Amino acid sequence: MPQTKAYAPGIYARSEELVQATRDLERKRTTEKEVERRREEDLGRLLEAQREAGLDYVSDGLLVWQDIFRPFAEASEGIEPGPLTRFLNTNTFFRAPSPAGGRVRLAEPLGEPYFAFSRLPAGEWVATLPSPHSFAALSTGGIEAEEIAANVIGPQIRHLAQRGCALVVLQEAALFGGNVDVSPLSRALDALESPLPLALQLPFGDAGEVLGELVELDVAAIGVDFYATDVEALPRPFPKTLLAGVIDSRNSLLEKPQEIARFAAELLGELEEGAELHLVPNGDLQFVPEKIARQKLALLGEAARITKEER
Amino acid sequence: MSEIRFTTREIGSLAKPGWRVKSVSGRPVGSEDVEEARRWGERLGVEGRERLFELLAKGEGFTKEERAEIQDFAALYAIRLLESAGLDVVYDGEQRRSEMYDHVARHARGFESRGTVRSFDNKYYTKAAVVERPRVESPYDLEEFLFVREHTDRVVKVPFTGAYTILDWSYDEYYAAGSMLGASASRRAEARRAFGLDVAREVIRPNVEGLVEAGAGWVQIDEPAATTRPEEVPLVVETFNATREGIDARTSMHICFSDYACLFPHIEDLVDCYELQLEFANRDSREPGRKQEDRPGYAILEKFAESAWDGRIGLGVLDIHTNFIEPAELVRDRILHAADVLGPERIEVNPDCGLRTRTWEVAYEKLSNMVEGARLAERAINGS
Repeated sequence: MPQTKAYAPGIYARSEELVQATRDLERKRTTEKEVERRREEDLGRLLEAQREAGLDYVSDGLLVWQDIFRPFAEASEGIEPGPLTRFLNTNTFFRAPSPAGGRVRLAEPLGEPYFAFSRLPAGEWVATLPSPHSFAALSTGGIEAEEIAANVIGPQIRHLAQRGCALVVLQEAALFGGNVDVSPLSRALDALESPLPLALQLPFGDAGEVLGELVELDVAAIGVDFYATDVEALPRPFPKTLLAGVIDSRNSLLEKPQEIARFAAELLGELEEGAELHLVPNGDLQFVPEKIARQKLALLGEAARITKEER
Repeated sequence: MSEIRFTTREIGSLAKPGWRVKSVSGRPVGSEDVEEARRWGERLGVEGRERLFELLAKGEGFTKEERAEIQDFAALYAIRLLESAGLDVVYDGEQRRSEMYDHVARHARGFESRGTVRSFDNKYYTKAAVVERPRVESPYDLEEFLFVREHTDRVVKVPFTGAYTILDWSYDEYYAAGSMLGASASRRAEARRAFGLDVAREVIRPNVEGLVEAGAGWVQIDEPAATTRPEEVPLVVETFNATREGIDARTSMHICFSDYACLFPHIEDLVDCYELQLEFANRDSREPGRKQEDRPGYAILEKFAESAWDGRIGLGVLDIHTNFIEPAELVRDRILHAADVLGPERIEVNPDCGLRTRTWEVAYEKLSNMVEGARLAERAINGS
């Protein structure tokens, strides 16, 4: 029977206290240090919540990331953060990466505070990065996915490998809408030269049309949002590890662990030998308030526990 | 041929002055707030302002009646700011509204607040869940409209948050109940459509209807979420049409920070949509020039020119996310470029979106230059 794991990659929600601290900072009512203290508290609570939920990998929740692209747009030569742009089908915005002239290159791999290395258990944590294809496709133009893979995301992954990361989830948000050519993505993944297993997750959208092509890509796992993708669209038997988006990060409605476990059991029957089932949220948990995100982490853990017990 | 004149107006919100925010939220009003009220009151020539200074001098402990009076002044100040900047069409900078989503969720039955969610960087909004079929008992913006109507001779355009945006920005604990995990696309779409149409018919339309009965002649439906799910643009159109059904007033739609390519061909199904007010400046160059290569932010206008939809375009010429004051000549060139593509008769002029994130100083300078730029563009076209 395929192995089941559960974890919560992506940007996590900020607590009401951290929200208030960042608001206060903007209004000059508090200090950077106080905001940092709050953020550390949030991180501690997040790590604790994941431990309590019994999740198999922990995530640091990317609590300082302003959006999934920004740290790399700021830390890379040849790129800069561009215009504020609405993100996908969420009511949020990101700064679209823009070409700044010259060769594109990550000046130095990102470390603390973008990755909380000192708080993460070696070999048991999951990192979330933008897919190079998504990075290029959602830029203002003139940025090549292969270049981003080879010179920005690839070096970062190699750095994460040295710091004990177990798995990298690449958020791929630019494959929806039909008539999508997967070949630039394929070339970009090849250019990554990753020493770590990669999961390509398609958050918040119907992956049905491209799943047949995605399973051919050189990644260990594919992430599917089952709140937007018909389960019938899954190629069978599914030849890779499946990151099943079974917690809805865009809705406050709390899932029922038993129901998720029933669904998971159905998915387990569709996997090829050697493939694993990873239960995850269907995207960043930052899209629900933190108190709800915390409840969802617990529900995810509970659903995984039931699934594992019923195997 | 008659002379071209470009109508100028704001889109919606202006920042709320410190004296208004503090007094209404129960925080002490300081001398700097009173000074700000005095400075803008005098600059804009706001009538009766001495009464405001008298009220604010109290500092704290404002009664309900006093808070209402202060809110009236905030609306009056905003109207005068927009008039003074030279706009043809005004409103009150949404001084009475908390935020475009929250304002509706608070006034309609069927929504419960769930907490704070980040919009971008350190900007957040309060998000609610629909927990039962939503509805309103009576028009909730009537008092606000009547105040504006009574205090300006300019044309009034009333902004309303659209049904699709309310649907898209809400959590769904009612229509999606019974779990959507692994559900078919048609089951999910059915739940979203039912929610959107209920908001259009039971929440937004009754409010619009009440204001139109009270004399509102121009209604702007704000749908910033319009293209966030490209496959649902037909639902945006359907909810717009459902909202304006039976409404006897000019109706337009504002969409911003969106992928406008997703609007085609669906906008051809809009019923009596006078205009689409859109954001462009955010994506444009700051260099002058009216040629296509000079104006990258306006490239999508070509698609509007090709479309069978032949309404007007409310041309966003001010980037509302920066303090950069667009020179009048830059505004002129943006307008002239759009006029070259669509014909000047299809163009009206506005900022990309509401200016609530800018100070009044910046907003005023931007708007004044926008009006001046519109006049320069008219002179360039009319040859006078």
